[in-house]
Amino acid sequence: MNWLQFVFYFAVIVLVVGCLIRAIRIARMPLHVRWELYPIPHEKGKEHYGGSYFEEINWWTKPRQIAVGSEIAEMGREILAIQSLYRNNRKLWYFSFPFHFGLYLLTATIFLLLIGGVLQTMGIEISGASESTWGRLLNGFTIITGVAGWVLGAIGAFGLFLSRIFRAELRKFSVRADYFNLLLLLAIFVTGFLSWLTADSSLGHLRSFAGGMITLKATPSLPTITQLHLILTTLFFVYLPFTHMTHFIGKYFTYHTVRWEDEPNIRGSKIEAEVTRALGYKLTWAAPHIGQNKTWAQAATEAAGQDKKDNGK
Amino acid sequence: MKDNRNITPKDMNSPVEQLVELDPAGFIPLPPPYNKLELEPKIKKLSADQMSKYECGLDGVSAVLLPKPKDENEKRQLVEKFLSGLSKLFSKENNWTFLQPLLLTVEYCARCQTCSQACPIFQQSGEIEIYRPTFRAQILRQLYKRYVKQGGAFLSRLSGDYIEASWEMIARLIELSYRCTLCRRCAQTCPIGADNGLVTHELRKIFSQEMGIAPKQVHELGTVQHLDKGSSTGMTPVAFKDNIEFMEDEIREKTGMDFKWPIDKEGAELLLIHNAGELLAWPENPEAFAIILEAAGISYTLSSDLLGYDGVNYGVWYDDVQFSRVAIRHAQVAKKLGVKKIVIGECGHSHKAMTVVADRVFAGDLNIPRESSLTLLRDIVLSGKLKLDPQRNADFHVTLHDPCNVVRLMGIVEPQREILRAICPNFREMTPHGVYNYCCGGGSGFAIMPNSNFPDWRHSVAGRAKLKQVLDVFQDIIGPEHKKYVCAPCSNCKGQIRELFSAYGVFEKCNILYGGLVELIVNAMTDIKEPFLTWEWH
Repeated sequence: MNWLQFVFYFAVIVLVVGCLIRAIRIARMPLHVRWELYPIPHEKGKEHYGGSYFEEINWWTKPRQIAVGSEIAEMGREILAIQSLYRNNRKLWYFSFPFHFGLYLLTATIFLLLIGGVLQTMGIEISGASESTWGRLLNGFTIITGVAGWVLGAIGAFGLFLSRIFRAELRKFSVRADYFNLLLLLAIFVTGFLSWLTADSSLGHLRSFAGGMITLKATPSLPTITQLHLILTTLFFVYLPFTHMTHFIGKYFTYHTVRWEDEPNIRGSKIEAEVTRALGYKLTWAAPHIGQNKTWAQAATEAAGQDKKDNGK
Repeated sequence: MKDNRNITPKDMNSPVEQLVELDPAGFIPLPPPYNKLELEPKIKKLSADQMSKYECGLDGVSAVLLPKPKDENEKRQLVEKFLSGLSKLFSKENNWTFLQPLLLTVEYCARCQTCSQACPIFQQSGEIEIYRPTFRAQILRQLYKRYVKQGGAFLSRLSGDYIEASWEMIARLIELSYRCTLCRRCAQTCPIGADNGLVTHELRKIFSQEMGIAPKQVHELGTVQHLDKGSSTGMTPVAFKDNIEFMEDEIREKTGMDFKWPIDKEGAELLLIHNAGELLAWPENPEAFAIILEAAGISYTLSSDLLGYDGVNYGVWYDDVQFSRVAIRHAQVAKKLGVKKIVIGECGHSHKAMTVVADRVFAGDLNIPRESSLTLLRDIVLSGKLKLDPQRNADFHVTLHDPCNVVRLMGIVEPQREILRAICPNFREMTPHGVYNYCCGGGSGFAIMPNSNFPDWRHSVAGRAKLKQVLDVFQDIIGPEHKKYVCAPCSNCKGQIRELFSAYGVFEKCNILYGGLVELIVNAMTDIKEPFLTWEWH
């Protein structure tokens, strides 16, 4: 292994562990009160107009009808096409969509490079001139996803960067980190593209780097531009878990544990047990009407439990 | 003074006396007949006396009537209190109720401003920056990063993502937390799923739960009075029974039925809880309910127990502890009566509070099923149990207002429409409607907050989108020769629409009346000789 591979390993570990910690932290937060927002796509037969099971009389006596397919389709549109931005903020979508789609393509490229790297160590050549059809196909696919990813990503990142500068409503709410994030990604896309254009037309260098990551063998020296691209990518991987760019994790939770979370609290259910546990937390809010040294259950029932029926008579 | 459209969150710390000057000329114009600026009601300036007493440095409006601190020391203490509340807001024990959704919003909003286009207050004000949904959220986020998040004091400076907390900032933030109706239209459009409406709710909680600051009508005369006297209207159980007797007489008079209300009837199938405000302001609404349920032969009861006759829960707007207290008391009333379920009358926030939010406050035998009256009414109307003649509702046009709490936040969309389609031949939909509706402008407590010049703001800014929608949907028949009815199945919305229409003279100029849903059902009942709707403004 050479130093770049070593650093890259480290970066991947930081990335994966960092994202996992983020996800686990969110997932382990206590159950919150219901705060759903309609339309909810899994409300079977009602999803197209935003209806819910509350529309049914004695809804708790009827089996819940969950439309898994509708929910998955909605997720697909939201993840792949960023539908909500397309509908509600088209100007930004023109850049945000290529930016994100570019990132998806590059994620796919990483996996294609890894597969190619492994196959290469097994003696299967991955290039346009390969004897193996799979080798030629894989090579073609990798180039298409990679180049399209860099180009789309660069267009998107540059457009978003300009939008943040020139659109007053975005500029006012942008901080240094927002510009830095976009420029870092722009640099990654541009160096990736230039590396392919000037020094790595079949992505062989990147592929052998990826293969080396798996076989733990040092890769032959890389062109400077390719090295620069990999160094920037390494930086990004280490940096990403500490930023709001991990919103791909956040978005899962905002949708699945808040917006679309309409699971009713049935007697004897897990939710009820969690509610009971939460009601046992001690609160320390200081306003006089809250009262001191109480659990939520005490605070909520003591005031309510006092029978003041005579009041006002 | 800076241009209203150029203000940034950091300006909230500015020592200027007032950050924003409101000018109706900058608001989005209304359709005819209100397309002339001279028909625009004025937003009154606070008197010199009010300005010397109360904080009004945000936009010259005072919703909270927050007394000005006496000296620098008091200001410092208030800032410290706020910061201590801020850290509690992000702790599991103190805020398990909303911690996860709050942190997700604070951490992941990309500040893309997509939500701004969805906010009726920001849009209709002519895009006054402070009303932007992300404005409050940005402040909360940057305060959190600066003062609460681990290592935040250093890291937030490095990223530039921080804001300092001065008294000017906190005072303005208190007012600003009462410039959003919590309609959550913004959250609906967010590509990441962040919820800037929730930010408003959480800020109000710091002010109430830590600092003891909330509008008097919401807290002292609201939840506190509700828990103490039995109703936020101040109505005691005795007064409730008096009201009931009076209304029974009215029902007998209107229908000729020998009517007696079932009160505290143990073992009844369901407990019906109205918003007690209905009994005082719109008694015809609970009366219509009574007529329908009697005719349909439903086994139900009202309660005269403390809180049992007032289903509101103002806590849902500003204070989780007060919310839980009211919710639990409602459940205790139902448990005592041994009913199978609680049915909620035409009150939007009561719907959401009792059915959705309180769902995770109840446990064990307090977890009694709750449901909307709209579904019950739909089933009654469509069952054929009532003799209904839609022609009795044919001499006026009807549109439907969707209360945010019932529709966007609970998904009850169709039942009310199925009823209207069955009984109102001239029913037409506003644009947008259903889950994408606009708030009436009275949400989150606004409709019951009469302080200083806040009602002026509520009419001109918060209610503007709704007024525009109503005028638009009836534009082809806008003249007073056509009778028109806005059906608003929610007390709070009705209160706001009443004030909004009064401020603009909508009934006089356009002959648009407002009211609930049950009134229309009874108006269509052939067993009732006289028309139930009297077409009088009240």
